[in-house]
Order: sequence, then structure tokens, then C-alpha cells
Amino acid sequence: MNDADAEPPFPARSEPGEVGLVEPRDFVSNAPFTFDNGLAIPGFTLRYETYGHLNAARDNAVLICHALSGDHHCAGIHSLTDKKPGWWNNLIGPGKAVDTNKFFVLCANVLGGCQGSTGPSSLDPRTGRPYGITFPAVTIRDMVRSQKLWLDSLGITSLYAAIGGSMGGMQVLQWAIEYPSFVKRALAMATTAREGAQAIAFNEVGRQAILQDPEWNHGYYPKGGGPRVGLAIARMMAHITYLSDASMDRKFGRKAVRPRSSAADTPAAAPAAIDSMEGLDAVAPAATFDVRFEVESYLRYQGRSFINRFDANSYLYITRALDQFDLAAAHGSLEQAFSGVQAATLVVGFTSDWLFPPEQNRAIALALLRAGKRVSYAELATDLGHDSFLLESPQLYELVRGFLT
Amino acid sequence: MSRTAHTTASKPTASAAKAHPVKRTVDMQIIAGWVEPGSRVLDLGCGRGVLLEYLAQTKRVHAVGVDLDFDKISACVRRGLTAYQGDMMALMRALPENHFDRVICSRTLEELPDPGAIIEQALRIGKNVTVGFVNHGYWKNRAAAFFLGRKPQNAVYTTAWFESRPSNPASIADFEDFCSLRQLRIARSAHLLGDWKSPCPLAPNLLAGYALYDLTR
Repeated sequence: MNDADAEPPFPARSEPGEVGLVEPRDFVSNAPFTFDNGLAIPGFTLRYETYGHLNAARDNAVLICHALSGDHHCAGIHSLTDKKPGWWNNLIGPGKAVDTNKFFVLCANVLGGCQGSTGPSSLDPRTGRPYGITFPAVTIRDMVRSQKLWLDSLGITSLYAAIGGSMGGMQVLQWAIEYPSFVKRALAMATTAREGAQAIAFNEVGRQAILQDPEWNHGYYPKGGGPRVGLAIARMMAHITYLSDASMDRKFGRKAVRPRSSAADTPAAAPAAIDSMEGLDAVAPAATFDVRFEVESYLRYQGRSFINRFDANSYLYITRALDQFDLAAAHGSLEQAFSGVQAATLVVGFTSDWLFPPEQNRAIALALLRAGKRVSYAELATDLGHDSFLLESPQLYELVRGFLT
Repeated sequence: MSRTAHTTASKPTASAAKAHPVKRTVDMQIIAGWVEPGSRVLDLGCGRGVLLEYLAQTKRVHAVGVDLDFDKISACVRRGLTAYQGDMMALMRALPENHFDRVICSRTLEELPDPGAIIEQALRIGKNVTVGFVNHGYWKNRAAAFFLGRKPQNAVYTTAWFESRPSNPASIADFEDFCSLRQLRIARSAHLLGDWKSPCPLAPNLLAGYALYDLTR
């Protein structure tokens, strides 16, 4: 499975190391799965990765839940030529805050996703064609219930902890509500028990960018095709909401990119495509509106790289799941939602997160307190916005390590 | 132990507390003596959770702390305590009546704005409120002001003015006047001499360096 498999576990106090080479695996369920809305699919697959070892007592499993655009690959590398490790590699590994010498760490791509788990781009075995928009509307609770079936299949009888940020944090809360005795610790960061109008609004603009792209074609498009422009624009806009004014200003300011004409001076292989929407836009933009600022170039790059790894229909489904998530409405009140929770919970907000702001994180902690539960709330001062939970922060590492002790 | 109060400024070190570990011990023992086993306790300005950890170990309390500083919350979490980072008034306002058996405000009160409002809130969400504070009427404090014309710096006020946090000190007489004005019942009290460990048998407003009160509605 990974590096550690070949060797005995490192001593617990070793220097932080790397998870190393990892391989994804598939959990395949052939039993019909019924979604919250009553619709069913004949079976499903969840692609997942694990790091470290399940101990004999089977009580050291730590579940990582990923965010909207994340996936099961949260630590390690898939090949020695990988430029980037998994998305939470800074937190997870031997000797790191989520210590794979101590914990058996698992992460699965969510139901409805497009990184190997069953979602709208998967083939419907009943028709032999991709589900497209015939895929049932997926909820955070559906994601969690499908993951429970996966963990059951691995013989995991309890979670030492469930950890996640953003949409991952929503799943963590849902886990603690849905399977109270199964989840011993719940760590939710940069999340919310219900999105505010602003977050829904941003998701709606993203969805409209996709839906209004003619290539969307009511959800029927070939693999690799589809509403690439719409999806790229959705990603560009969403990416802004993950950052902050201060962090964008520090990274880009008003730095200009070199004008297009000078591209001729550079070798032909120069990655001009990074700065352009070439191949995306049906109508080439007039030179006046060519990329001028580095921030534009950066967002275009984000958009371009996203369309190569993400399915537009999955984006529609998952943003809908985010918007629909409302623990208070689902249970009458947030306190009632948490009334059965048994996990010790830690909620972490980030001061500069304007997508799921600190107040929404605090509201979760206060409701848990009012419900008489064991909950801590910490708020890290950062200026990196919503994505702060991915930050390389020794303070955050200490907190997570302490919570898992 | 350095008690974080209503200020977001970075805190001076807890050097005063580290220099006087004995003082902390007696203080904690008295509070622990008042705490019912297994009760629900909120510590206002919990710092790194030293008191709450002691109460959790000796009295098996369900402990919750509140403090403004991330690293202090982190230290509490590491100790296995639950703690809330934020403004204590905002936290208390968000909680229902009688949510806690006891609210503790130890070595915090004099650094808070509007301490009367804090105690009022604490008595709403807690059945008992334990307050511990340095007695400003302690004779050495009076002497420093009267004979020397100085801000007191001695065993009870350990820091010079330029390294001190903003403070709104009260004497034992001030505090008891406040309690009678607000009709708060003093269920128990303890007065310690300037060494912060020996009981003060008489004239506490003059001779006690540290005072502890247990209030009820």
C-alpha cells in the first residue's frame, strides 16, 4: 500500500518523515445505495488511500474528509516524478501532526465525485452510458453513509478521529451525528453547519457558468469534453473565495505579466498557454483584454488545470450538496442536531476566512456546548482566507497533535 | 499563572506565576475544596488550563475554559480539557441559565472591563461563582502609595507598571460593598496573608494579600 508497509513502524518520536509512495484502492459495493432523496443506484465505488497500519485493537483509524475540489489522495506521492504530494501532506505523515506511525489514516473520494468514486461521470450499469444528470442528488449525509459502508468493509469498528476542513468539516459533523458511538473524536475546520447566502451565491454563479456553457448540453457530454469554459470560470471565481484580499495582494499585488508581443522573444516551447484561455474560449479575446496582471494569469492557470481533473457535473452536484447542507433545518435546531453526539469535538476557525467565517465555526462550537457536549473552539489568526486550514502552521500542527493525544 | 483577560494584545510571560508556584497551589486547593465532585465548571480566563486540569484530576469536574489566546486553548486541548477561544462575555451570553454548577473567575477579574457585568453574567449561567483576586487594600499596597508615592510592587503585585497589563484593582472592602449593593450572597470566603498561603485571621482588608469568594444568587 505504501512505504511503511515494507518496514516495521518507526519509533513514535522520530523526526517527521514522508508517507512516500502510495497507491489508491477501490471499494466496490454491489448493493443498491439509496440516496437521501429516495433515488437509488445499483452499486457504487469509492476510491481511497490509506497510510500507516490498523492496530490489533482496531482503534487507531483516522478518517480524513476532503473538500469540494479535493480527493482521496491526501498524503504521499503516486510516483517518484510527482511534482506535488497529496493535498494534506503537510499534516499527515510519520511524526507529523496526524502521525502515521500511530494512526491508520484513511481518505476516500466522495460519492458524487470524479476522482475514481462513483459520480455523474461514471457509467450507469443499467444503461451503459454515463449517469450525467440522472445521477441522484447527493448530500453530505449520502457521502458519509457511503463511507461508513466502506469502513465497515475494512473491518473498522470505530474512528479514533474524523478530520476535515470546509466540506470535509461538514462531513465530520455529519459523521459525529450519524454514527455517534463510532466516532471518538471529531475535528472540523473552516466549516459551517449551514452556508450563508454569500457562499450559496458564489456556488450559484459557478453553477450558472457551467449550465450556460453550450457544451454542457444538459449534462450529456463526452468524457474529457463538456463545458470546459464554464467549469474553468467557476473554478476561477471559487478560487478567489478560498483566498483573501491580503494574501492575494501579497502574492500578486498589481504585478504585471509581460506583454504578449514579447512572447515571440522567448523559446517556442514557452508555456504561453498558461497565461491564456486558448483552447477554452470559442472567441479569442481582443488584445486589449489579454492577460495583464499576474493574478489573472494565476486564475487562468487554476481554471485550466481544474478542467483537466474535474468533471463539470460533479461540480454541480457537490456544490449543491454544500448548499443544501443545513444541520439546523434537518434536526429542528443545531442543538438538537448535536444532541446525540458522543465524540469529543474540536472546531477551528480562521480569522481571514470569509467563505465559512469564524462566526459560523463558533456557532457550531456554541451549539455543541449548549447541548452539553465536549467541545473546544480555537481560532487561528491567519490572512490566507478559507484555505488557511491547509496552511503550514506549527501552531495548527500543535493543536491537532494535542487533540489527537 | 498568567490569566488572559479582555485584551488581544500579546501577553507578557507568565514569569510572575512561575516565580511563585506555591501561591498557586494553596489558591487551587481552596477552590478545589469548594467544587462539588463531578460538577460542571467554567473557568473564565483559563490560561493553559492548570487550574482546570487540577480540578478535573481531583474532582472529576466537567471542565470548560475560555480564553482569548490560541496557544492557551491549544495547551488546554493538549491537557484533554475543553476550551473555547473568544470573548468570555460573548460566550456567557450564548449559554442558558444554570448551564454550569460553578463559574470560576480566578486572578482575572481585575483585568476585565465592567467586572460587575461579568459577575452578573456568571451568576446567570452558573449556580455558584468563585472569585479570586489580589486585595488592593493589603497594607503593603497602601504603604507603597502612601509613603512612597509609587504603584505597589511587592509579593502580590509582582510586576512594575511598565510591564503590567491594564488593571482595575479592588480591595476586599470594595468587593464586599459590591456584593451587598448587588445583593449577592457570599456563601464562603477565604483570605490569605501576603504569602498567599497562610490564612488571614483578622482585618483582612488590611492584612490579606489574596481573597477568594464563593457567591450565589
